[in-house]
Amino acid sequence: MQDDLTTGYSAQSAALKGTVPGADALRAKAMTDFGAQGFPHAKAEDWRYSDLKALRAGVYAPVDAPKVAPEVPAAMGESAARFVFVNGRYAEDLSDLGDLWQAASIRPIANHFSSSSARTDELVRGKDGIALLNTALLRDGMVISVPAGVEIDDPVEIVHIMTEAAGQAAHLRHVIELGEGAKLTVLERFIGDDSAYWQNIILQARVAEGASFSHFRLQEEGLGAVHTAKVYVNVDASGQYHVMNMTMGAKMARFEAHVRMLGEEADATVDGVALTGTGQVHDTLTHVDHVVPFATSDQIFRTVADARGKTAFAGKVTVAKDAQKTAADQSFKALVFDRTAEANAKPELEIFADDVKCSHGATIGELDAKAIFYLTSRGIDPVTARRMLVEAFTAGALERVTVDSIRDAMMERIGTWMSSRADRTVAEVQEA
Amino acid sequence: MAGTAEAQKQIAEVTGDYKYGFVTDIDMDMAPKGLSEEVIRFISAKKEEPEWMLEWRLKAYAMWLKMEEPDWAKVSFPKIDYQDAYYFAAPKKKDGPKSLDEVDPELLATYEKLGIPIREQEVLAGVQGSAKVAVDAVFDSVSVATTFREELKKAGVIFMSISEAIREYPDMVKKYLASVVPVRDNYFAALNCAVFTDGTFVYVPKGVRCPMELSTYFRINAENTGQFERTLIVADEGSYVSYLEGCTAPMRDENQLHAAVVELVALDDAEIKYSTVQNWYPGDKNGKGGIYNFVTKRALCKGKNSKVSWTQVETGSAVTWKYPSCVLAGEGSVGEFYSVAVTNNYQQADTGTKMIHMAPNTRSTIISKGISAGKSQNTYRGLVKVLSGAENVRNYTQCDSLLVSSECGAHTVPYIEVKNPTAQIEHEATTSKISEDQLFYCRARGLGEEEAVAMIVNGFCKEVMQHLPMEFAVEAQKLLGISLEGSVG
Repeated sequence: MQDDLTTGYSAQSAALKGTVPGADALRAKAMTDFGAQGFPHAKAEDWRYSDLKALRAGVYAPVDAPKVAPEVPAAMGESAARFVFVNGRYAEDLSDLGDLWQAASIRPIANHFSSSSARTDELVRGKDGIALLNTALLRDGMVISVPAGVEIDDPVEIVHIMTEAAGQAAHLRHVIELGEGAKLTVLERFIGDDSAYWQNIILQARVAEGASFSHFRLQEEGLGAVHTAKVYVNVDASGQYHVMNMTMGAKMARFEAHVRMLGEEADATVDGVALTGTGQVHDTLTHVDHVVPFATSDQIFRTVADARGKTAFAGKVTVAKDAQKTAADQSFKALVFDRTAEANAKPELEIFADDVKCSHGATIGELDAKAIFYLTSRGIDPVTARRMLVEAFTAGALERVTVDSIRDAMMERIGTWMSSRADRTVAEVQEA
Repeated sequence: MAGTAEAQKQIAEVTGDYKYGFVTDIDMDMAPKGLSEEVIRFISAKKEEPEWMLEWRLKAYAMWLKMEEPDWAKVSFPKIDYQDAYYFAAPKKKDGPKSLDEVDPELLATYEKLGIPIREQEVLAGVQGSAKVAVDAVFDSVSVATTFREELKKAGVIFMSISEAIREYPDMVKKYLASVVPVRDNYFAALNCAVFTDGTFVYVPKGVRCPMELSTYFRINAENTGQFERTLIVADEGSYVSYLEGCTAPMRDENQLHAAVVELVALDDAEIKYSTVQNWYPGDKNGKGGIYNFVTKRALCKGKNSKVSWTQVETGSAVTWKYPSCVLAGEGSVGEFYSVAVTNNYQQADTGTKMIHMAPNTRSTIISKGISAGKSQNTYRGLVKVLSGAENVRNYTQCDSLLVSSECGAHTVPYIEVKNPTAQIEHEATTSKISEDQLFYCRARGLGEEEAVAMIVNGFCKEVMQHLPMEFAVEAQKLLGISLEGSVG
C-alpha cells in the first residue's frame, strides 16, 4: 500500500515541478522522506487516538476547480483584508485586499522561495508524513509580512472552501511574519460540502520581539472531510502568540499547534474548543516548547463529545534545561454526553529545569445534573439549561478571544450546535 | 512524636552511601551462563517442578523470542545482552535445612545485616507492642526461609515460596498463575514466565483477616545474575492481607536485571494492601552499575467491593520501569496507588499506574510524588481508562513533582480515556522546586541544609507515607534521606 501511495504522490509532486520557483529541491526531498516513512503508523504515540485509515486507503488526487462557483460566507465583522481559497487555490475575484497591501507585504507562497528572506529550514519543520506531503505538494498559500512597528487592528480573514472535491486533496501553506513590535490578527475559516475531501494545511509564523499575533480558527468542514492542520509558531522575546481553535466539522480532524518560546518573556496562549458529534473524531495535539527562561504559556481546552463522537487532546509542555522561571499552565476539560461517546486526554509535562512552575489539570465528566435541575427549577427549559451550561463550560477558552465579532460568532455556533442536538436531549430528559 | 524524632535522627546519621552494598561470600549453585531451552530445563529441574510447569515455561520462552523489547519509556540504557547473565543462582544447599537453625549462618548473618527479622524469636523479643511480620527471604534465585508458617497455617493462610506452592498446591497455582498478567503481556513478563526462579505465594481463605503482616525480602547477591521473581497473592472472599516487599543488592559496576511479575487477585469483599520499599542498588555517583528494575505488577479486583491498594517508595535502581496497576472488574471495587519515587545522580525512573475501570461504581485514587535530584530523570506515566459499561466511575489523580537540582528532569505523562459519560475523572499535576522560603525558615531554626531538605521532602511525601505500615514508614523516611544525600548545594 505504501508503495502505491508513494508512486501516486511522487507523480503528483513531479507534475508540480517548476510551479514554485526555488521549491523543487525542497519538494523532492520531502517526497523521498515521505516514501521512506509514509503516514504515521496507527500505533505511533502521537496518533494514539486518531485514525488515518482514510489517508492510508488510497491516493487523494490533486484538487480541481469546482464547476459551480461556491457561495462565500459573509465576513465576521470588520476585516483588514479577505483572502479566499477555493479548492486549494487562491481565488482572486472572491478576495478583497482592502488596505492591507499598503501596510504589509502580501504575496503568494509561489513567490516566496526565490526571495532572499525565505527561511527554508523553518519551512520544513514538520517531520511526519502529513507535513512531508504538504511540502512535497506545496503549491499555493499566502505569505503576509508585517513590517516592524506596524499594527493592523482589524482581523485578516482567510477563508478556505472545498467543494465538489470527493477523493481530492488540497495542500496549502501560509506563512505569517511579524516584525518587531508588529501586530496582526488572523481569522482562518474552513468550510466545505459533504464530499470526502482532504484539507491539509500548515501555517507557520514568526513573531519577532515585542510583536503580537492573534490567531483564530473556525473549522466547519463538511462531515465527509479529513482535516489535518499544523501550526508552527516561533515566538521571540516579549512576543505574544494567541491561538484559539474551534473545531466543529470534518469526519476526522486533527489540529496541531507547535509553539516555540525562543525569547525571554515571550507569552503563548493556546486554546481550543471542540464540538464533536456522530461519527466524528476531533484530535488535538499541542506542544509548547520553552527553550529560554522567563517565558510563560497557558492553555485552555474544552471539548464536548456527543453520541458516537470521539475527542482527544494531547498537550505537551517541555521546559529545556536552562529555561528557569518558566510558568506553564494547562487545563483540559471534556464533557461526554453519551455512552457511545469518548474523551481522551494526555496532558504531558517534560521538565528539565528546576525553578519552574508548571501545572496541568484535566477533568472528564458529564453535565452536572444538579446544575440542570437548578436551572430548570428556575423556569428554564432543559434544552436551554443544557445550552447555557455548555456555553459556560466553553467560555473559559472563548472569552479570551479579543475580537468581539469573532467571539460572538463562535459563541453563537455553540448555541446552534447544542440546539441541533436538542431533540435527542429532550427525549433523554423525558426518559429521565 | 518519638517516632518522628527517631526518624530525623536516623536521617542525620546516614552518611550518604548505599548501606546495603556488601557481598555475601557463599558457595553458589549456578546455571550455565546465558538463556536457552536447556537453561530453562535446568531451572525447572533444579526446582523439581512438575512437567506442566516446564511446558508452560518453554511456551513462554518461545513467545518471548518473538517479542520486541519495549522502547516507549523515557529511559535510556545500553542494550541488554540476555546471553551475558546467569538465570539461576542459589546458595549451595546443605541437605535442605529443616528449621532456621540449619540455614547457612552466612545467610542469616546477611539478613541480620540488612535488618530483616528472619529469626522468629528475635521478632518475638522485639519491642513490645510491635506487630509481628512473617518473612519470606529470597536470596538470588531461591527462597531461603519463610517464617511464622505454622502460626499462619493455623489461621488457614498459605504463605510459602512459589516453588513450594507449585509442588504442594498445583491446582491453585494453575488456576491463578498468569490470570492477571498473561504470558504475552509484555516483553519482560514473558521473560519472567520463562525463567522465574522463586517468589512468594499467598492464599488467604474466605473471611480470614491475616493475623500478621506478610513480607518478602529480595536480595540479589551473585554477580552477573538476573533476579526473576514471581509473586502471586490470592485473597478469597471477605479476607484481608497486608503484604510488604523490600529489596537490596550489592554494589557492582555491571548492571543487573530484575524482572519480576506480581499478580494479585481479590475476590468479593477482599482487600489486599501491597507495600513496596524498593531499594535496589542505584549505581554510583557517576551512573555506573545499578539494577535495571523492569517489573510488571497488576491486581485484579475480581470480586464485588474488593479493594487493592498499592503503596510504593522507589528509591533504588539505575533504571525503573514499573506500573503497579488495578483492573477493576468487580462492581464497586476500589483501586489505590500511592507512590513516592526518588531519583538521584544518574537514576532513571519511569513509573506510575494503570486503573482500568471495567465495572460500575468502581473508584480509584492515584497519588504520586516524584522527586528528582542530581542528573536524574523521573517520569510519572499513568492511565485511567473507563469502559463504556462502567457507570458512576470516580477517579482522582494527583501527581506532584519536586525538582531538587537544575540538571534533573521531571516528567508527567498521564493518559485519560473515558467512554462513559457518568464518569467523574479528575487529574491534577504540578511541578516545582523546594521553596526558598521554606528552606530559609528551616535554616533560620538551626537545621542544616540537607536536614532541611529531608524534612521538606518528607512533608511533600506525607500523603503517601501515611499509607505505609508503621515498620516500613520509618525505613522509607530514612531512605528518602539517604537517596537525596549529596544532592543539595
